Amino acid sequence: MNDPTPTDIPLRVTGLHKSYGRHRVLRDVGLALPQACLAGLVGENGSGKTTLLRILAGRLSPDRGRVDHPAGLGYCPQHPVLNPAFTVVQHLRFFQVAYGLRHLRRAHELLEILDFADYRDHRVATLSGGTRQKLNLTLALMHDPPLLLLDEPYQGFDWDTYERFWKLAAELRERGRSVLVVSHIAFDTVRFDRMWRLRDGRLTELSIAATAPATAEGGR
Amino acid sequence: MTRRAWTRYVTAARFALLEHLRNRLALALVVFFVPTWITLVYLVIADAEVGYFLRATGETVVVHGNHVSKISGAVNAVTLIVGFMMFIVTYRSFEFDERLATAGYPRPYLLAAKLTALTTASLLISAYAVAVICLYWVPEQPVMLWAALAGAALAFGGIGVMLAALLRGELEGMFCIIMLSIIDMGLQNPVANPTADSDIVRYLPTYGTMQAGVAAGFQDTVPLTYLLLGPVWFLAAVAVAAAIYGLRTRDRRRGQGLLRRARVSASR
Repeated sequence: MNDPTPTDIPLRVTGLHKSYGRHRVLRDVGLALPQACLAGLVGENGSGKTTLLRILAGRLSPDRGRVDHPAGLGYCPQHPVLNPAFTVVQHLRFFQVAYGLRHLRRAHELLEILDFADYRDHRVATLSGGTRQKLNLTLALMHDPPLLLLDEPYQGFDWDTYERFWKLAAELRERGRSVLVVSHIAFDTVRFDRMWRLRDGRLTELSIAATAPATAEGGR
Repeated sequence: MTRRAWTRYVTAARFALLEHLRNRLALALVVFFVPTWITLVYLVIADAEVGYFLRATGETVVVHGNHVSKISGAVNAVTLIVGFMMFIVTYRSFEFDERLATAGYPRPYLLAAKLTALTTASLLISAYAVAVICLYWVPEQPVMLWAALAGAALAFGGIGVMLAALLRGELEGMFCIIMLSIIDMGLQNPVANPTADSDIVRYLPTYGTMQAGVAAGFQDTVPLTYLLLGPVWFLAAVAVAAAIYGLRTRDRRRGQGLLRRARVSASR
């Protein structure tokens, strides 16, 4: 495979270090995510996956290192970051202004795809955990960015919605988007084009063939 | 102001006001606590005259104990409610605001919206408190009393925002607001401490309000400097809050030479 040019790389990370006191969470982490790639980031609980994603999203400062994502991104935090006082539609309106979008066509498409359009006028305080997570994900995707950083975005989803999510992720890849998904579910691994594991603060790329469960149904 | 800037401001201000309207406890406190507190003062506090050291005119004035207590009671009620409202709204929406800021909502608009909501709430609640006072006693200058109360509400609203930016727990914030209010009004209470001649009271957040409020209740002077002390407290508290808020919601990609604005995507 030829080395891609810098403009083909929606996300490039080099020499990232992060410590919490004496606890070194990330040690010399580096990765390059190409266009049209559905990638996974796996690791045990507490291995630093969320810390890494928060750094990539600009929500946390690294101690050292460099993160490049020249064309913008969408970030879905692990726990829904919403305002319980507002309805689903009010969230979309607020983020429409934040992203500077002319219309909410894509956002409403996402409500349909994730099957919660019926809740558009419900306040977040009255929504179930799964529906909140759907809105959390929608806010990250509604501006259709070239790079998506999703931290366990299907928490609280039922099986049907979980499948819808992977179908959506595959469709995003087909449209040239790059998606990095934090996951700890073994079934997910077969869905990825590329996969990295975080262990003892170090990131290593895994061979997809070696990690895919034989019976899992792929989204690729 | 450009159309885009106006849209950003109006959208954020509309949602900031909506958020307050969804705070049912605060609304219940406004509707019931303010008249209850002022009515109890009217029923319980003695009518005996008390001396009050009015620094605004440099003299000790003799005032009706019950009337002046209604003023301090109103200050107490208004500051507690507005402080509580602003603390809760700022504290609970912090992560959400951070997400909006990261998504591209400029922080000054979010802050301006919160301040618009605070000013609106302060003016309305203070007007309501003055209206309740007028049921029992009509002060010499009701409009000035309204302005004085709004100044106190602004001061505590700003303190609420500042505490929300500083503290990590709802209980801590509520406790701090109540303690501040106890110290503030306890030391200035005209019945408990009529002369209030210690220099320390000058540094209390509602000092200017009590001075201007007593002048509004019993005199025809307009102590403008004292009226402005509440807004000065408000500005100082908000400046601290803005510094903390800006620090906590800054995009951390900045400074690494890495941030570039998201390009307008195909869906726009």
